[in-house]
Amino acid sequence: MPDFNVRSDSVNVEQIMEQIRGRIREKRGVDYTEQQIRELAAVKLEKFLDPRGVRSDLLDQFRKAQPAYEPPELPNFAFEDATLFESHRAPIRWIRKLLMPLLKLLFNPNPLIQALNIQSRLNTINAERDARREAARRQMDQLYYELVHNLVVETTRTGIEVKNLKMRVESIASRLEFNERRARALEGAVVYRSTEPDEPRPQRPAPQIPQPRQQPPPRPQQQQPRYTPPQPSYTAPVPVAPPTQTAIAPPAAVTEQPPQAQGAGVPGEGPGQRSRRRRRRRGRRGGGAAATIMGAPGSAQPGSTGAAGTVESVDQMDAIDRMDDDGSPDSEEMHDAAAEQVEQTGIAEADHAASTAEPPAVDQAPVEHAHVEQPRVELVAPLPAAPSATESSSVAPAEPAAAPPPARDPADHDPQ
Amino acid sequence: MKIAVVVQRYGQAINGGAELHARYIAEHLARHGQVEVLTTCSTDYVTWRNELEPGVEQVNGVPVRRFKVKHERDPLVFGKRSDRVFEQLHSLGDELDWLDAEGPTSPALIDYITKHASDYDYCLFFSYRYYHAYYGARASRGRAILVPTAERDETIGLSIFQPLFRGVRAIMYNSPEERAMIHAVAGNESVPGVVVGIGSDVPNNPQAARFRQKYNIRGPFAVYVGRIDQNKGCKELFEFFDGYLKDPAGKLSLVLIGNTLLPIPEHKRIRHLGFLDDTDKFEAMAAADALIMPSYYESLSMVALEAWALGRPVLANGKCDVLKGQCLRSNAGLFYETLGEFIGTLEAIEQNRWLAGSLGRNGRQYFKDNYDWPVIERKYLDMFERLKNEVPGPGGDPLPGWFDRRRQDLPAAQDVLAKLPKGPAGRHG
Repeated sequence: MPDFNVRSDSVNVEQIMEQIRGRIREKRGVDYTEQQIRELAAVKLEKFLDPRGVRSDLLDQFRKAQPAYEPPELPNFAFEDATLFESHRAPIRWIRKLLMPLLKLLFNPNPLIQALNIQSRLNTINAERDARREAARRQMDQLYYELVHNLVVETTRTGIEVKNLKMRVESIASRLEFNERRARALEGAVVYRSTEPDEPRPQRPAPQIPQPRQQPPPRPQQQQPRYTPPQPSYTAPVPVAPPTQTAIAPPAAVTEQPPQAQGAGVPGEGPGQRSRRRRRRRGRRGGGAAATIMGAPGSAQPGSTGAAGTVESVDQMDAIDRMDDDGSPDSEEMHDAAAEQVEQTGIAEADHAASTAEPPAVDQAPVEHAHVEQPRVELVAPLPAAPSATESSSVAPAEPAAAPPPARDPADHDPQ
Repeated sequence: MKIAVVVQRYGQAINGGAELHARYIAEHLARHGQVEVLTTCSTDYVTWRNELEPGVEQVNGVPVRRFKVKHERDPLVFGKRSDRVFEQLHSLGDELDWLDAEGPTSPALIDYITKHASDYDYCLFFSYRYYHAYYGARASRGRAILVPTAERDETIGLSIFQPLFRGVRAIMYNSPEERAMIHAVAGNESVPGVVVGIGSDVPNNPQAARFRQKYNIRGPFAVYVGRIDQNKGCKELFEFFDGYLKDPAGKLSLVLIGNTLLPIPEHKRIRHLGFLDDTDKFEAMAAADALIMPSYYESLSMVALEAWALGRPVLANGKCDVLKGQCLRSNAGLFYETLGEFIGTLEAIEQNRWLAGSLGRNGRQYFKDNYDWPVIERKYLDMFERLKNEVPGPGGDPLPGWFDRRRQDLPAAQDVLAKLPKGPAGRHG
């Protein structure tokens, strides 16, 4: 994830905008404008449909190929009773008129004239109907082409949206996986939560995510909280850690206790120390039981090796405790070895939690409940996270901004 | 030196961009010479109704001579004529009819300029798109200096204005983008011109805390100042801010200042304060984390300059070349074109104090270097001095004859606009 690099000596707006756009592209995929979608649609069509002779710029091609429709000029079907005897020469017309009785004497032309007259009318009607149909068909063709064109554009837009959604789903899936791992790690760490030796606390569900209250609340301008590894609120009865360590001590701090003090062969170890150690172990087991009682998924999951290992270790500890009661040195050594194993398991759990939790937290969108202040870096400040996949789920991938500026109100062409 | 400032409306209560620009220039030039304002009796730019008395009055020590408007604007006629000249093949007569329908049609003002132009050394015409500028510049040929306040809209594509841009003595541009656009449309590179802009009387020590207390505003917020209108990009602003509100990382509220023509979205993090006086406006800007400027059409954003003067970063609409260019040149503002960019840039300003501070500092310096009043006044005075030593050109083209005015051979204005070069000017203008 690129950082938002701003140097103190100069601010370059173009550079900053490039970084912001890069972040957006990384987070949400590419945002296309309307124009770009159309261009993409054209490219796709040319790629896939050109072999079949269909062009991407369907509508333009259609309009070019088929100029505006003009109905064909119909022939003159007119046929009246005098049509047979018409002539542009007046003497001939006069002669024909003169000889008409003679002609009618030879045959009757009237049925012929009537038939031709009817036929001419029929021809005219058919031609006009054909012209109307042709015009309507052409209009429909244009409509269909427009429809197909728009469908292609919309299909392209949908394809882009699907791609963006896929990316978003992938992002959510990875975050979900991370959260699950983190939850498991936290559950495992909670198993080792101890109670005060002399003031056993009532067993209640351990908090899912510890919130270090000792730190000041984050300043508004630095609201980039990072995930902090879980911190088991373990308070050792004997060497009391400094306050700072108790505030933000990672789970590995448990190992900071001098191992010599627990060594079985250390001379001078009295029964008091032994009993304290035993109480501490019991305290740990008590924490594990609490986690089990509350039914934390991480602790009871069969696939969770850490949890299973913890239960086994606790059982082992119980057996050792029983042996511990006889006070023999051998049993003491075995006891210490088992204790070492339990502590190692706890450390491994805590380390796992820390290792899985820490690195992705840099790239994650700010987590609301993790109120840990980020140390402020003046010169190289991180870019605020763009809307995360889950957060921006309600935002359509094709943004409204892609639309061109709205046309001005025709009644308002004033600059004010 | 005697100067006439000719503008469509004028008054202390008139807050339109070009009108305020004209008033500021008139008042500041009055310190260097004799200034008289020639304007109409209108105060409403939609109706151009005569609401003030004709005659001479004093506004902030500057004499103002008002003339009656012949007729009010008929929105239906104006809309029809706008459609005609913006979208269809048309004639020069159509464009002149459109100009007449747009208003404020004041033949009395033009008559006065015709008769008394020689009384002035220079006549400064504000807003090329109105009746007074088109006919007034012709009437005062040789003395006309134009302050176009041109935006990238269809009006710039009308053919009647090309001779106007070529015929005036000089042009005082608001931005390099405006100059490039006018050069491209009119080919008037030979006309003396300079990018000036406008200054602002920003208070030295605005009381941000007082504003917060007065309006009970807590927490960080971004401010929008101006008319809340779709033409100003506010609809898109609301859509984008709605997207921002869904992001839990964002904590900014949106404070809107100005009269509204749009319904304001109901949300606890969106506050509309209405029209505020200058004191409250400047205090609001001083209290804000950033100023948002969502307008698509600007020849120069005075509000953005004021925000910069107060050391506040600006988030501008990147679709407006002028705003984008200003952000790039000043290194004092970010810009957005999509929802993702809007959220990303707003959060960058919100969550990165150092960035916001640096942008604000750059803005303050940019304002000081380019838009401080001494700089603006000096540019005007230098231009007057330059013109004094130059012989006036032949002036604009004569108005075509009766037949030519009716020849339907002019392209639709929106087609002309589409062919104009786009994008912000270079870093150095």
